[in-house]
Amino acid sequence: MSKGKEKEKVLVRYGIAKREREKFLANMISPEGKPEALDGIVALDVSYANFSGIIAATLLAEFGAEVIKIEPPEGDPSRKITPYGVNVNGVGIPFLMEARNKRYLTLDVRTEDGRRDFRKLVAKADVLIEAFPAGQMDSWEIGYRQLSQTNPGLVYIAITPYGQYTDRAKEFRNLPDSDITSQAASGLAANMGDPKTSPEPYSWPLKAGMWLGWYISGLEAALGGAIALVYKEATGEGQMIDVASADAYASLVGYPVIIGYTWEEARPRIGRHDFTLYPYGFWESKDGIVAIAAPRDHDFRALLKILKLWKIEDDWRFTFDRVPDILEQIEVLYGLIEAETIKYTSSELEMMALKYSLKAARSKWRGGGVPIIMKVQKPSDAMKNPHWNIRKAFQEFDDKTFGKFTIPANFVKMSDSPPRVKWISCDIGKDNDYIHKKYLTD
Amino acid sequence: MEDYFSFTKELFDPSKTKEKPEVFKGIRVLDLSHVILGPIAARLLAQYGAEVIKIELPFYGDLWRFGVYWGKFWKHSSVCFHFVQYNKYFLSVDLKLPKGKELIYKLAENADVVVENFAAGTAEAWGVGYSQLSKINPKIIYLSCATYGQYGPLRFFPGWDLLAQAASGVISLTGYPGTDKYYKLPDYVGDYLPGNVGALSLVMALYHRKKTGKGQYIDLAQSEALMRTLPNFTYFSITNEELERVGNTDPTMAPSGIFKSHDGKFVALAVATEEQFKALSSAMGRKELAAKYKDGFERLKPENAKELYKIAQEWVSQKDSAEIVNLAKEHGFPVAEVMDDFQIANDEWRRERGSVVVFNDDMYREFVLPGPSAMLSKTPGRTKWLSRPLGYHNRYVLKRLFGLSEEEIKKLEKEKVIGYWDDRPGIKPPVYYDMEKDPVFNYQGDGGGKAHE
Repeated sequence: MSKGKEKEKVLVRYGIAKREREKFLANMISPEGKPEALDGIVALDVSYANFSGIIAATLLAEFGAEVIKIEPPEGDPSRKITPYGVNVNGVGIPFLMEARNKRYLTLDVRTEDGRRDFRKLVAKADVLIEAFPAGQMDSWEIGYRQLSQTNPGLVYIAITPYGQYTDRAKEFRNLPDSDITSQAASGLAANMGDPKTSPEPYSWPLKAGMWLGWYISGLEAALGGAIALVYKEATGEGQMIDVASADAYASLVGYPVIIGYTWEEARPRIGRHDFTLYPYGFWESKDGIVAIAAPRDHDFRALLKILKLWKIEDDWRFTFDRVPDILEQIEVLYGLIEAETIKYTSSELEMMALKYSLKAARSKWRGGGVPIIMKVQKPSDAMKNPHWNIRKAFQEFDDKTFGKFTIPANFVKMSDSPPRVKWISCDIGKDNDYIHKKYLTD
Repeated sequence: MEDYFSFTKELFDPSKTKEKPEVFKGIRVLDLSHVILGPIAARLLAQYGAEVIKIELPFYGDLWRFGVYWGKFWKHSSVCFHFVQYNKYFLSVDLKLPKGKELIYKLAENADVVVENFAAGTAEAWGVGYSQLSKINPKIIYLSCATYGQYGPLRFFPGWDLLAQAASGVISLTGYPGTDKYYKLPDYVGDYLPGNVGALSLVMALYHRKKTGKGQYIDLAQSEALMRTLPNFTYFSITNEELERVGNTDPTMAPSGIFKSHDGKFVALAVATEEQFKALSSAMGRKELAAKYKDGFERLKPENAKELYKIAQEWVSQKDSAEIVNLAKEHGFPVAEVMDDFQIANDEWRRERGSVVVFNDDMYREFVLPGPSAMLSKTPGRTKWLSRPLGYHNRYVLKRLFGLSEEEIKKLEKEKVIGYWDDRPGIKPPVYYDMEKDPVFNYQGDGGGKAHE
C-alpha cells in the first residue's frame, strides 16, 4: 500500500473512532435509565446543625442510597442556615439545594420513645451519619459501641470539630461546628489575604467565600463511608468513621503540614500571587478581570509573544526566575503584564490566546506553549454557558412548594452507575408514613 | 461502663494502623495522570491499599516533581509531590514507543482502574484511551479528569486549578466588597477537591463492579465538581441576585467573622443556630440580644447581621483569645483560633490523632505529612513510602509483574523504552542516598525489597 493510502486509512479509522467516542460520551451525559451504585443501601442522617453531615448524606443519596433524614419535630436548625435569611417557605437555600433524593422522618433521638424507633431503624440500616457532641449518642446508648453490637455491619460516621478521640476531642466536645471555624482551624484562612505590608483588614487572614470547610468535611465523610461500604460488601463488617472539621483543609491539600514542617515556619500571605507558578492569577482587562495561566517556560514565552512583550523575555526566562519569593520583584512582572492586558477586552485576550494555542497544537513538534486566558466568571455567567448546559451541569425544578429554582447537579458523568438527582423535597416529616410502613412495622 | 473516650482511643489507636487490613488490597491501578487532579484520585486508593503503578515519561517525569514552593526543593525532591504520590510504584515508560505501549497494554490486562488527566481526547489519540483499554479488559474502570470534561464545546480548552476556579465562579466569591481585588483559593484546592470527588466516583464504581461485575468510564470535569459545592446558583435562580463578596464574614451566620482579639490573635467566631445565639448572648452577658433576635431568619437580615457583627467584633477585641475559646466551650458556640502552617505541623492534637503523621521513610528519613481526612476504625488509610526518583520501581514492577529478565530490562533501557532520572532535582535521589545498595531499585526477583510488600 502506498504511504498516502495508508495515511488515509488511518485517518478514516480515527475519524470513525472519534465519532463513536463522541456518541458514547454524549450518551453518558444523562444518568437516566442507568443503575445506581448504592441501590439497596439504607443511610440514616441524624446530623444536627451541621451541613457536613447533610452533604455527606446527600452524596450517598445521589449515588442511589435510600437516605432518611431524621429530625426533631421542629426540624433540623440547618434549615435556617442561609445567606441573609433568604428562604422559601421556611427552608433556607443551602438546605433546599442539598435536599436531594431524601426521605424525611420526624423522630426525636433526645427522647426515650424516639430512641426506641431509632434502634429499630438502625437494625435495617447500612450507614449512620451523626454530628452530635462526641460521646452524646453513646450516653444515650445509641452510639457506635451499642449499635455495632446489634448491627455489626453498621458504618457509623461521626462529624465534629475535633473528633471522637484524644484529650482535645474530649475537652472541646461541646463546641459546635461551623464552616468559618473549620476554615480558620485547618489552615485555609491563614494562607489567604494580602501581605502584611498592606493596610488592615486586607492583611488579615481571609475566609474563602464559599463553604469550603463544610464541603470538604462532607465529601471526606462520604468518601470514607464509601470505602467502608466496599469493605462491608467483602466481609460483612461495619466500622466507625471519625471526621474532624478542624482538620478539613490541612488534610485535603497537605500544604499547611508539609510546608510548616520543612520550612519550620508559616508561609506569609501573598495576596493574589501563587507560591509555585507564575504567571498564574488574574489581571485587569478593558472590561473586567481575566485569569491567566502560563506558568511553564514555553507557556510564558507564548504569553509574551501574544502580548507583544518579547523584549522582557531575557529577564524572566525560567520558572525559577519567576518564583514569587520576593514580592516587590514579582509585582514588577505583574505590572508589566497588566500594562498590556489593560489594552484589550477580555474576549480579545481570550481569542489571542486561543489562536496561538491552536497554531501551536498544529505545529509538528507541539512545543509552542499553551497560554490560557479566560474571563473570570460569576456564578450567573457560568449558568448561562452553553457548555454546562450541554453537560447538564445544572438541573431546573418547578415545584409546588418552592417554585422555580436551579441546582448544580450531575457533577460526575459515569457510563454505568452515575450519580443523579431524582427529586428535591424537604417538608418536615413528609415520609413518616412511608418509613413506618417500610421499616418500623413488625 | 468504660469511659467513651477510652473506648474510642482504643478503637482508633494510630499505633495499631499497621496491623489493620487494607480495603483495596489486590486492586491494581494504572495511573497515567500528572500534576494533582488525577494523581490525588489514584493516591487516595493507594492510601487504602491499592497497588498504584504510576507511569512517567523517561528523563522528564511528572511536571509536579518540579512543583515546589518558592523554588525550594527538599532532599532533591518536591514535598508537594510526596504528598500527592505516596504509596505508589514509579514506572518510567515512554508510552509513545510501540514497545512502551505494549507494556501499558500488558499492565491494563490485569488492572482494575485507570486514571488519566491529559487534555480531552489525548489518551485516545495515544492509543491508551477507554475505547482501546476496555477492549483489552472489559471490566476496567477508567477515570478521565479534565477542567471542562470530555464532552462539550469547551473540552479542548486547556485547564489548571486556576481555570476551574475561574470557570465555576469560585474566584468571584472571595474578597472584600467594593474592591477590585480578587483572591484565588490557595494550594490548588481546585484540583484537590475535584480529585477527591474523582476518588469517590472510583470507589462507587468499584463497589458497583463488585456487585455487577461491570466496569465503566468516568468523565470528571473539575469545574463541575467545584460548582456542586456552591449555593450561589440556587440563590441566583430564586432571588435573581448575585451573592456579593463579604470579606471575612459568612452571610449564612450572624454574627460571624474572623476578628482580632485583645492579645492580637485572629479568632473565627460564628453563630449558626438560635441555640448558639442564646449561648453567645449569655457568654457576652447580653441576654437581651437573645430576646431581640429569637428567629434565625430575622437575625440573618443584612442590617441585623451588620449590627451583630459590630457587637461581636467589639467583644472579641476586649478579650484574650484563650478566654473566648473557654467561653465558647462552656456555653456552646463555634469558635476557633486561626492556625498557621507552623502551628498545624506541630499541633499536639493532630499528632495524637494521626492527622499529622511523623513518618520515617527508607529513602527520605523523617518527614511530616497529613494523615487521612477521615479516620476509619477498621481499615484506616496509611502512608507506606514517599514518592521515589523517576523510574525507581522499573525493575521491581517489570520483574515481579511480567517476570522480565535482567537482559530484557537492559534491552528496554537501551532502547529508551524505560528510563530514569538525570541530574535535575525533583527526579533524582537525595545526595546522601546510595542507590547501588537499594534492594527495591535493584530488585533481583528473589523477594528482595520486602519493605514494599
